[in-house]
Amino acid sequence: MESTKILVQGIVQGVGFRPFVYRVATELKLKGYVRNLGNVVEIVLQGEKKNIEQFLYDLENKKPPISKINSIKTQCLKNNDKYDEFKIYESLDNFSGASVIPPDLAICDNCLKEIRDPNNRRYHHPFNACTDCGPRFTVIENLPYDRDKTTMDDFPLCDKCEKEYKDPLNRRYHAEAMCCPDCGPKLSLFDKDDNDLNSKHPLHDTVKLLDEGNILSIKGIGGTHLVCKVTDEDVVNRLRKRLGRKSQPFAVMSPDIETSLTFTEISQKEKITLKSKERPIVVLKKSKDYYFADSVAPNLHTIGVMLPYSPLHNLLFDFSDEPAYIMTSANVPGEPMMISNEEILGNLKGISDYSLIHNRRIVNRCDDSVVRYRNDFLSFIRRSRGYTPEPYDLKGKVLNKNVLALGPELDVTFTIVKNNLAYVSQHIGNTNKYKTYLFLQDAIKNMMNITKTNDFDIIACDMHPQFFTTKLAKELSEKYNAELVQVQHHHAHGVALANDNDIDEMIVIASDGVGYGSDGTAWGGEILYTDIESFERLGSLMPQKMPGGDLCAKYPVRMLASILDSCESFSRDEVIKLLKESYVDYFPHGDMEIETLFKQLDSNLNVGITSSTGRVLDSISTALNICGERNFEGEAAMKLESAAIPAKGEYNIPLRFKKLNKRIVLDTGNILKNVIDLIKDGVEKSEIAYAGQVAVSEGLSKIAVDAASEKGVKYIGATGGTFYNELISLTTKNYIEKSGFEFIQHKNSCAGDGSVSLGQAIVAAYKKK
Amino acid sequence: MKIGMNHGAGGEVMENLIKDTILGNVTKKAVNDGIGLDSLDDGATIPIGNQQIVITTDGHTVNPLFFPGGDIGRIAAAGTINDVSMMGAKPLAITNSMIIQEGFPEESLDTIMKSMDACCQEVDVAIVAGDTKVMESDKLDGIVISTTGLGIVDTDKVIRDSTLEIGDKIIITGTVGDHGLSLMSLREGINFESTLQSDVAPMWGIVEKATAAGEIHAMKDPTRGGFANAINEMADKSGVGVLLQDDSIPIRDEVRGVSDMLGIDPYEVANEGKVVMGVKASDAEDILKAIKKDKYGKNAAIIGEVTDDNHVLVETPVGGVRIMETPIADPVPRVC
Ligand SMILES: [Fe+3]
Ligand SMILES: [Mg+2]
Ligand SMILES: [Zn+2]
Ligand SMILES: [Zn+2]
Repeated sequence: MESTKILVQGIVQGVGFRPFVYRVATELKLKGYVRNLGNVVEIVLQGEKKNIEQFLYDLENKKPPISKINSIKTQCLKNNDKYDEFKIYESLDNFSGASVIPPDLAICDNCLKEIRDPNNRRYHHPFNACTDCGPRFTVIENLPYDRDKTTMDDFPLCDKCEKEYKDPLNRRYHAEAMCCPDCGPKLSLFDKDDNDLNSKHPLHDTVKLLDEGNILSIKGIGGTHLVCKVTDEDVVNRLRKRLGRKSQPFAVMSPDIETSLTFTEISQKEKITLKSKERPIVVLKKSKDYYFADSVAPNLHTIGVMLPYSPLHNLLFDFSDEPAYIMTSANVPGEPMMISNEEILGNLKGISDYSLIHNRRIVNRCDDSVVRYRNDFLSFIRRSRGYTPEPYDLKGKVLNKNVLALGPELDVTFTIVKNNLAYVSQHIGNTNKYKTYLFLQDAIKNMMNITKTNDFDIIACDMHPQFFTTKLAKELSEKYNAELVQVQHHHAHGVALANDNDIDEMIVIASDGVGYGSDGTAWGGEILYTDIESFERLGSLMPQKMPGGDLCAKYPVRMLASILDSCESFSRDEVIKLLKESYVDYFPHGDMEIETLFKQLDSNLNVGITSSTGRVLDSISTALNICGERNFEGEAAMKLESAAIPAKGEYNIPLRFKKLNKRIVLDTGNILKNVIDLIKDGVEKSEIAYAGQVAVSEGLSKIAVDAASEKGVKYIGATGGTFYNELISLTTKNYIEKSGFEFIQHKNSCAGDGSVSLGQAIVAAYKKK
Repeated sequence: MKIGMNHGAGGEVMENLIKDTILGNVTKKAVNDGIGLDSLDDGATIPIGNQQIVITTDGHTVNPLFFPGGDIGRIAAAGTINDVSMMGAKPLAITNSMIIQEGFPEESLDTIMKSMDACCQEVDVAIVAGDTKVMESDKLDGIVISTTGLGIVDTDKVIRDSTLEIGDKIIITGTVGDHGLSLMSLREGINFESTLQSDVAPMWGIVEKATAAGEIHAMKDPTRGGFANAINEMADKSGVGVLLQDDSIPIRDEVRGVSDMLGIDPYEVANEGKVVMGVKASDAEDILKAIKKDKYGKNAAIIGEVTDDNHVLVETPVGGVRIMETPIADPVPRVC
């Protein structure tokens, strides 16, 4: 007989791991115990050697579906106590090191069956959960992951539930979110004057109200949605008006794949992702028969769709005949989604007509994740619910230090690195909104709790002097007496991408809206050499003036004016004439503003400099009268992509390059000039939109390929929000692969700014050799 | 390091220069335990008996020298008169030191002096001393005027810019951004048919009326760096926060129009005839009424209140709450 101690690290809490161990050990007639040490599971086995070996085999190969093992350490025990049976011990919380809390997961099939079975005691139970499903990250306050450290502590188990909870052979054994209609949270329906409607069937009544054309706020698991019909133009417009959200597309929830297929095209991979336990919003192509109100996702060829993930959502659709509902985060644009009942009832006045809320608190707000397939390749637009807080294993690449990286300013996530694991936070959002800035600080505290991080050795942030995250980083570095490391925005992008692909050195095309460059200008169309330690700027788009600074992002026509003005083959008078004849409506102050703009270009009063790809795509979009005002991030460029869908690709814009301060720049003035010429020639809008995007992508690709040849680097990566664009991604990929290089894309991280904090953290914590 | 234009533009860069190179080299910074150089208030005080002499000095350059609503003479007088007034002191006299470019037209100097005098007359201030120098035409552009202002105040009536109290109401005595944006639009050659002009004016009349009407806890004139700079400095020095209501801050349509076209925030440009005050909440309405009686206070408004947060926040009707930052000289684009 032998005694062995096994320490298992990974996602091993709250996923039915201990009962699994119990079952396997008992079957193999092994004695001993299993217990949670908060961060690891400790198993002591006593029995036949071959049974212990079998146990170790089963541990790896039959583990519960949600669990994930990062490491298994075994140790022979001598002179050990004798055990008479195999037992599950209470959790201990005196431990150190990394711990891993699982993300929230969609309801499992077993639980779904129960809520649809009239004979089950959980029939129609909107909060059904078991060890395989339900909320985790959003309800946990502290470690170890036990019910009393979650918001389920407010709901003492009834006798029947308690029996299940304590039975190691039950699938609800220590399922911390489990409950039943008797002991679990309760729904209530309120009207807009905060009157409790005392509804006997809140879900039925909710569906009825929705179908009558009302807008409801519905509190879910990690946040709150504003919900309404998708087929009624009036209703959708009312929602837009109330939110002050002119054109940003709304995501929808549809009951199942079959129904979603009535308005979208769904590939095999998209189908798998839609149905995955993470259940993100998937950006799908609208089908030919698309029939929703135009204002749901206006002027785009895509729509974000998710399937129901909580029992509540499933029941909603069980009671409804609608093909989908709009499900958009309930927030003031830019501010965090509302999660407390007081906020939902108080602050959504005037926005929603009724509110369906419940009495379970949400600890960690967690927005829906968003993914998109481009050329059948998954890309994360927002990596949040269902994925957070599962860490990235940095595999010893960085120092064994505690690091906090705060990200950029818009689309912020933060990252905590501890024991070489990088925990990237849920989506935080636009931190120049004060409430979002507070949410960031709260979320950091919560993440510190659930990773048992008490202090930091290094604080990383962007180089932008005005970002609130930069200011916060400075405060925190004083508070924790930690080293402050400022990381260049596109270097961080590149390193996140490299980490995702397990490589170090590469040429990266970093293409986005804006990132503070080391020369103090706004970068965003960059060819960089990057490794963890350093970066070198080898090429870029041509720097262009931004008359009025950020005003150019809101009104892309300003950028169009400036870029055309930079083009030698266009005289200033010609540019002014063109603007006055064709684009004057895009200037809120008309002709006078056009004249002022050129004076501003000459006097340099509030004129920024940028090599951003976003600004160039915006300009093309405006030149083609596709989008004249930006109401949400990437709007003009997204609509440009949609406008190019019908194109056959018959036109080619010749590329021109220049040399500037020892780097190669793509002449964007020339591209815009060609766009204008094609318009004058009467070429179809879709063709020009296509040719413009191809020109920008091939221009960047050519610089990258030349740089890679010169540097002798075999990988060329693509990062930045521009690469959510399918045409640009595909064009870039083809060019690079045709040139004999390996094309690197984001796999399990965002191409956009959601992964910047991860890159910052890695750069800041890099272990110099 | 070489001094750049942004070292004179207000904001963080200038703040650091003052702290490191200027304050760092001065040994004695105050007299008789009065308010001294290192408090970086609008002026200094020298206590004598139970009164205090308030003294302040300012150099003035402006491009162009003559502009709608005023000229460099009026600015030079109003600038120091206002700094004295911001301490709660009755301004008594200014001194006037001018450095003039060789070749400068005498008629222009005459106009400048007349307008300096007129400004002083408005609040019964004397010009008691002066100095005139001429420099070669390649060393100077036009004229630079330095004035020193003197005033007197009872010790218990000194008003600081660092003593906001939680719960105070914030008052602005009129529209913001007029001076800065009218000069910018003039320089950029933006032709508004309208009456866009500088607000340069002496503020003692308003301050006198306001102090008589109620309790003022702190005040400051929002000159360089504009309202945003002034309110941040006041909040920062007082260790408090401020919550402002965006739609209650008065702005002229013309100013809004120019700021929209140039992408320049009207809260961040200079005013030369405005006061920001933190007043006792229960006195706010009375003070406001008194200010509105002054010819420079007709558009005064209560625009927010002092909080225990440590940020200056602005609430907009639809856009939620944002932080109003201390402006920096050359903003770098940040919108994706
Ligand atoms: Fe970026
Ligand atoms: Mg002064
Ligand atoms: Zn389940
Ligand atoms: Zn129960």
